[in-house]
Amino acid sequence: MRGPDVPWYLAVAAFLFATGALGVLLRRSPLIVLLSLEIMLNGANLALIAFSRLHGESSGQIFALAVMAVAASEVVVGLGLIVAIARKRLDLDVDKLSILRG
Amino acid sequence: MIVAAWICLVAPLAAALLITLLGTGVSRRGAAYLATTSVLGSFAAAAVVFAKLWGESPDARSHPSTVWEWLTAGSFHVGLRILVDPLSVFMMLVVSGVGFLIVAYSIGYMDGDDEERRYFAYMALFVFSMLLLVQAGNLVILLAGWGLVGLCSYLLIGFWHERPAAIAAAKKAFVMNAIGDATMALAFFLLIQHRQTLNFPDAFAVGPGHGWLVNLVALGLLGGAVAKSAQLPLQTWLPDAMEGPTPVSALIHAATMVTAGVYLIVRTHAVFEQAPRVQELAAGLGAGTLLMAGLIALVQTDIKRVIAYSTMSQIGYMFLGAGLGAYANAEFHLMTHAFFKALLFMAAGLVIHALAGEQDIRKMSGIGRLMPMTRLAFLIGSLALVGLPPFAGFFSKDSIIAAAMDRGWYGYVLFAAALAGTFLTGVYAFRLFFIVFPGELSPFVQEHLMRGSHAAGMEGAHGEDDASRPHGHDVHEHTGEGPLSMTAPVLILAVLSVIGGWIQFAPLWHPVSDWLEPVARPLAEPTNTQEALASLFAFLLGLAGIAVAWMVYGTRRWRVPKYAFAQRMLEHKFYFDEAYDYAFYRPAVALAQGLGRWIEGPFIGGGIREIARAFRDAGLSTSRLQTGLVRTYALAIAASLAVITIVFVAVR
Amino acid sequence: MANVLVWAVWVVAAFSCLASGIAVVSFANPFFSALALIGNLASLAVLYLLLSAEFVAAGQVLVYAGAVMVMFLFVTAYLGGRADAPWAGGPTWQQFGAVLAAGAILVEVIVVIGLKAGGRLSHEAKIDAGFGSPHRIGRVFLTDHLLAFEITSVVLLVAAVGAVILGAHSRGDRVPGHVSGPGRGTWPEET
Repeated sequence: MRGPDVPWYLAVAAFLFATGALGVLLRRSPLIVLLSLEIMLNGANLALIAFSRLHGESSGQIFALAVMAVAASEVVVGLGLIVAIARKRLDLDVDKLSILRG
Repeated sequence: MIVAAWICLVAPLAAALLITLLGTGVSRRGAAYLATTSVLGSFAAAAVVFAKLWGESPDARSHPSTVWEWLTAGSFHVGLRILVDPLSVFMMLVVSGVGFLIVAYSIGYMDGDDEERRYFAYMALFVFSMLLLVQAGNLVILLAGWGLVGLCSYLLIGFWHERPAAIAAAKKAFVMNAIGDATMALAFFLLIQHRQTLNFPDAFAVGPGHGWLVNLVALGLLGGAVAKSAQLPLQTWLPDAMEGPTPVSALIHAATMVTAGVYLIVRTHAVFEQAPRVQELAAGLGAGTLLMAGLIALVQTDIKRVIAYSTMSQIGYMFLGAGLGAYANAEFHLMTHAFFKALLFMAAGLVIHALAGEQDIRKMSGIGRLMPMTRLAFLIGSLALVGLPPFAGFFSKDSIIAAAMDRGWYGYVLFAAALAGTFLTGVYAFRLFFIVFPGELSPFVQEHLMRGSHAAGMEGAHGEDDASRPHGHDVHEHTGEGPLSMTAPVLILAVLSVIGGWIQFAPLWHPVSDWLEPVARPLAEPTNTQEALASLFAFLLGLAGIAVAWMVYGTRRWRVPKYAFAQRMLEHKFYFDEAYDYAFYRPAVALAQGLGRWIEGPFIGGGIREIARAFRDAGLSTSRLQTGLVRTYALAIAASLAVITIVFVAVR
Repeated sequence: MANVLVWAVWVVAAFSCLASGIAVVSFANPFFSALALIGNLASLAVLYLLLSAEFVAAGQVLVYAGAVMVMFLFVTAYLGGRADAPWAGGPTWQQFGAVLAAGAILVEVIVVIGLKAGGRLSHEAKIDAGFGSPHRIGRVFLTDHLLAFEITSVVLLVAAVGAVILGAHSRGDRVPGHVSGPGRGTWPEET
């Protein structure tokens, strides 16, 4: 069962990562920013698993699982923040949350 | 013996520390008695040392003692070293003896002052410092004592610190002395470099072939001596120092500290003898000072300032003697001067005390009628000062004048100056006496001393009943001339002023000279003819001075000659203060202001302001990068990632 | 033949992955974005399977697409229309920079892969049938990577606690024992 080589997977991963980065950098809705972050993380995960396959080494998959756990945590906290912001009746717009400006 | 010397040294220090540490735990009286007792203990210890030393052969009378080596640099050692030899014992006796009488006198004089404890702590500290100075076994310890007496002088001149004049005088004294300290320290550095030791007497053996070095060292030492002893040209601080309490003037500014310069010259005579030009300069400065001070004393109206100028003049004689190499005579005069000048100051203190702090002699006329004992004491002091036989000054001063005749034409110039000084001494001393004591009672004195009380009954009734007397300087319910603690020292000093000179009469017996000879062999030994000649001249001129004073101020048969120019000149003390003001103070102030305005403001201050502004602007512009917008930060991270990736790839 | 089938599966999965990724980023409505992300995760799971990572693929579908995304959808629905925000915006230089940076990263990775493609990247290791199975993963997780396992669990715990505190905090100042007062616990108005 010989499919595409690892470089193809890596290309997909890079493409996913760039797409997610574009979303993070361009979108103003915090929800979409979070979703874009997930895409970036998934791109990284794909790369990890591809390398895991390349070396026949399970550690890459372990790492991917850890990334998934971190992603879940991040989503939980991020969503908590978004809900809190919404509760305060503020605009859900990352460009307006600039209270930490120096 | 060494133990006694150390006890003599530390007893006053212990008293000073005790008074300071106990604070209000010791009563004012207690502090006074503690200080007095400690100084008496010092005197007793000094007497023991003297007696022990007396029993030894003259050549063996030198005992150094080091308790602690506290500075070691290569082969250069400095320890806490004292030296017991005839000269230091002589000075110890004078300092602790006269010091004891004056501190005892202070018990009455300072009674009721708010800060008696501080006063007595300072006095005890001063006696310790002075003893340290004269007992020092090397130049570093001497310098320590030198600086400490300067400090005590500063503290005690400014003792009444709420008086601006006292503070100014204290500062002036300190600054003038600092000049001398600096030149002395420079001389010490030269000696350290050349001799690798500052111990007596090794440090002075500079050896031949170092003319410039010896001259510089001698000049530096002379600078210190001149500043401490208020000689030309650093004399202007002494009259102002009279702002301090009168016992302070008697102890520090008449009997002991100001004579330290003479002690220094005698102690370091070996250096001066290798630099004869500098030694002659010292003699010349002494002669100049004694004339100048005598002239200025003629026009002063403050009782203490007259005596202060007299002190300056008498120390001029001592410098003359030391400069001529008549060390024993200078030291002898130092001792008799300590007696009669302390007597004069303390008698003046009795008058001032009775008049509630008034020092203007024009208001005091006729007070002798109410204070006969004080009048007698003052008369004895004045006679001793002028040097009439058989009073103390006669024996000591005339030997110095005689020594001048041994020195060629330069000696005769000095001889003439010294004799002129004798005449001036007679005039100013008795001008003071005749203005203050005899004559009609001035209204001011009447107001102060005869207010509603039995003026006639005052005589003889000294204030033993201290307890009933209200405290405080300005409360003057006097019951006589002063409490016993004040009158007794005055009487003792009066007796000493009469008989103190008898211990040496150069042509017949000279124990002082013999005693000091192992330490300082005199350069000049006047013959009996010269002694007699000098005594005759000095006696006649002194008498003439007294006669002039009698005609002018006693009988008022002669009017005071009016020379407006001379008068102004003398009242301004030969314009020394003004000259220093123009020569040093104003240029310094102008320089400082100029630097402040043209350098510090635009360059230093401006530079710092500009640097600060640059940093603030940089901060402001950088802080604009911190937008608070998450997307901007994310963009920065992404851009950095892109760049770092390029770098990684390129580097591999 | 099997190769062709694998290739076909790969192409479908990869393209749906990329398409759904672009959709997530570009939908105006976060609800649709979230739905697109589920598709993205599912197609990624297929790719994981192709890479013999069965356990991760299962976890991806169960935990990620199942649990996390349901929560996401729930929050989006809870917020309703307020979840909408302008699509992009901000200064032009920022948009330009964003595209430039993302493009640069993509290009760089592709170039690096291309440079190495003919070399080691093509030689996949021989693997046995157990590779990627829950048995193998569990064994490695609890032996070689025990520390990572424990730390991950702690991270999850912290996140849970943080979410609870955030939720309680945002309800106002009624939390017992919480420092309260004017200006505490509120988001200041944008200035």
